[in-house]
Amino acid sequence: MLLCLVATIVFFLGRLTGNPVDMILPEDATGEDRAALIKTLGLDGPLHEQYLIFVGHALQGDLGTSIRYRQPAVDAFFSRLPNTLAVIPWALLLAMAVGIPLGVVAALNRGNIIDRLVGTVAVLGVATPSFLLGVLLIFVFSVELGWLPSGRMGGPSHYVLPVITLSAFLVAGFARLVRSSMLEVMDSEFVKLARIKGLSETVVIWKHCLRNALIPVLSLWGVFIGNLVTGAIVTETVFAWPGVGRLTYEAVIFRDFPLLQATIILKAVLILSINLMVDILYAYVDPRIRLT
Amino acid sequence: MIGGLQLRKWALASLLVAASAAHAAAQTQTGTLIFAVESLGGQTLDPILEGRPGNAVYQAVMYDSLVGFDFAKGGVGPGVAERWVLSADGLTWTFHIRPGQIFHNNDPLTAHDVKFSLERQMAPNSLAAAAAVMRRTIKSIDVVDDLTVRVNTSSPQIGLPAGLSRAVAPEGAVMPKNYLEKVGEDEFRRKPIGSGPWRFVRSVPGDRLEFEAVSHAHWRGRPNFKNLHLLLVPEESTRVAMVRTGEAAIASIGPETMLSASRSGLEVLAVPGTMQAIYQFYGTYRPEFKNSPVANPRIRQALSLAIDRQQIIDHIMNGRAKMPFPFATFGYTEFLSHERWDKWAREAFRYDPVMARKILAEEGYPNGFELNFANTALPGTQYMVDIGTAIADMWTKVGVRVKLRHYEWGSFPPLVRGDQPALAGGGSMFRTAGRPDIPWRYNSALNTEGVGERLLGDASTCEASCREYLQIHTDLTAERDPVKRTALTDRMVEVVANTWLVVPIIEGMGYYAINSRRVGEFAAIPGRHELGDVFERMPRADQKPWKK
Repeated sequence: MLLCLVATIVFFLGRLTGNPVDMILPEDATGEDRAALIKTLGLDGPLHEQYLIFVGHALQGDLGTSIRYRQPAVDAFFSRLPNTLAVIPWALLLAMAVGIPLGVVAALNRGNIIDRLVGTVAVLGVATPSFLLGVLLIFVFSVELGWLPSGRMGGPSHYVLPVITLSAFLVAGFARLVRSSMLEVMDSEFVKLARIKGLSETVVIWKHCLRNALIPVLSLWGVFIGNLVTGAIVTETVFAWPGVGRLTYEAVIFRDFPLLQATIILKAVLILSINLMVDILYAYVDPRIRLT
Repeated sequence: MIGGLQLRKWALASLLVAASAAHAAAQTQTGTLIFAVESLGGQTLDPILEGRPGNAVYQAVMYDSLVGFDFAKGGVGPGVAERWVLSADGLTWTFHIRPGQIFHNNDPLTAHDVKFSLERQMAPNSLAAAAAVMRRTIKSIDVVDDLTVRVNTSSPQIGLPAGLSRAVAPEGAVMPKNYLEKVGEDEFRRKPIGSGPWRFVRSVPGDRLEFEAVSHAHWRGRPNFKNLHLLLVPEESTRVAMVRTGEAAIASIGPETMLSASRSGLEVLAVPGTMQAIYQFYGTYRPEFKNSPVANPRIRQALSLAIDRQQIIDHIMNGRAKMPFPFATFGYTEFLSHERWDKWAREAFRYDPVMARKILAEEGYPNGFELNFANTALPGTQYMVDIGTAIADMWTKVGVRVKLRHYEWGSFPPLVRGDQPALAGGGSMFRTAGRPDIPWRYNSALNTEGVGERLLGDASTCEASCREYLQIHTDLTAERDPVKRTALTDRMVEVVANTWLVVPIIEGMGYYAINSRRVGEFAAIPGRHELGDVFERMPRADQKPWKK
């Protein structure tokens, strides 16, 4: 149902704001050129007819042929998807590796300078636009220091800057979530019991508290991965990374309707699937969910 | 004595060895030339699926065009055809093919390939911009012999050779008939073959195109580099960073980046005459706008006088732009009295706000008026938004209250279609690309029918200047005598210039940041923004260092 809604919105929204014919033809093309190209591209029928044809084909798994790339839009999406998926796990890993300890440290130092510092880092991470961060990182680490390549896919060194840029937003998200979740868990009865039992503070915090504090964080994994998939548009553009983010951007700019529909619908499928998997995993990790 | 003779012999031998070594080094194709560009279009190597910019950037490297360039002056010159002749009745163009050309699979390039290529461009499945016009105007194509092809047209088409030149359009690209028929379209698109100085190696979608230099002599020039990589890098600051770090030798940039690129030690190349930034008014001839201030040519002239073009050139274009010729004309425009129009433009496009205010007062608007103005920029010319904002400010200074609206380019062309409700009675920014033949561009802006901009009139309202323009345009498309053609072109330019409906602001340039350690000094083709026809002429840094 949700997918049908997404498909319908994308179909009509795309057509409200322009036409691929105007993107293909030069500014001095004649009306005759334009009419001929509209017919060649199959855009000459009434909108409702085009929609019915789109729905009919989509139900058979055919999301059309990209006007720009002249290949099935689904193929174009899946040829770029591995490039995006090559970055996302690393960004997620980096975000967790930095964000979770930061959240714990902030919770343990509630109200003092360290907590405020972590809060500032979190705010900066959320507030700094990806394009600005990306360009700054390129300037410092590529141009000035010469340590890393400026962009494009390549060996491990090519991953560093895009991964940092993508994960900056999530570091902040993880840190804030873990902090609040930790504060809640640290007040619970079982933590007091652990202390009464004489367990060391390290074991209490990093084993008992964090393990339980991570359960609500897990539920937001789906949202975070969704953010990474959609947020990759800017990062992939800045770093010339040929993933689905940039493919979506190109589809919008070029008014490549079939490609735009395919990328949005397939991204929606991807995000829905990830959320479903996270829900299942959540039920597995937290027995209370299964019991209810 | 003998010792001295021997010494001279040794010296001579050493000189000869050194000279031949230098010659061999000059002939050797080594290294990889890397070019970072903001768009690779559809990234398809099939010419019938790509538009003009994509063709000019990357297809040009591996395909030759039937008609080529004048590399020194810009505009049309010899290509696959070394010359072309029009029949006495004006209905047949005969193209004489340059002998000895070969495709990358060593098949000879003949008139059969030319006929096949033109017919393929005109086929129903072609996305070529001019496919419809070619279908209408080209009646038949005959192969006379291996090196002669005749194109028969249904009416005199004086501009046909220019339309088949890459200086104007991509439809002249010559494809290999035998290979394409043998392997089929799908295989051809996977493993394309052309006759250009670079052969296709690899295409990585959304990332890059790789080419390898041909080793034989080529009429466009034998490449000095062994490999050519065209990288797709949409973000300008990333492209510049790549040139600074040496990851790329050349990157396309905008004028706003020129100063910083230059300060950071990069060479900056400006290609003259690639475009005009213009503004234009819509629907001013319609009865409902009869009393509108912009329906008055004198007021439109006053608006032009209120624009300080030199300020725009100095501060937005960083000094790398020129005062323009009249609409769609350049220093390389064919059949135009250049001196006359250069002189006219200097006077007409002067900055004279006092005169602008005076005209406004004389025409009944001493306190100005309200003007709707749409600001937009075509891809790759983002500075046009700044120019639009600047002229709106300049008009405000003479009392015109400008209601400025910004449109992303993709959403702008639909506004020009139909009744133009969002634009009629107002103006907008626009652009015209640098091309040597102007009737084509005038037609799209001023034709009264179809879906063009219809600036002078439409099917129901076409007044004196509109009717005169239409007559001149019709005469021009059939006029063969160069002197009469020049006179007609001059008159057409004059009629349109005097309406002040479509007004140039500046003549822009194409800009590139260059790492002088990665590529030697080269010149672009005047009026040709893209470098697809220039890569083979670029020396390596050791062959021709940049002059400091």
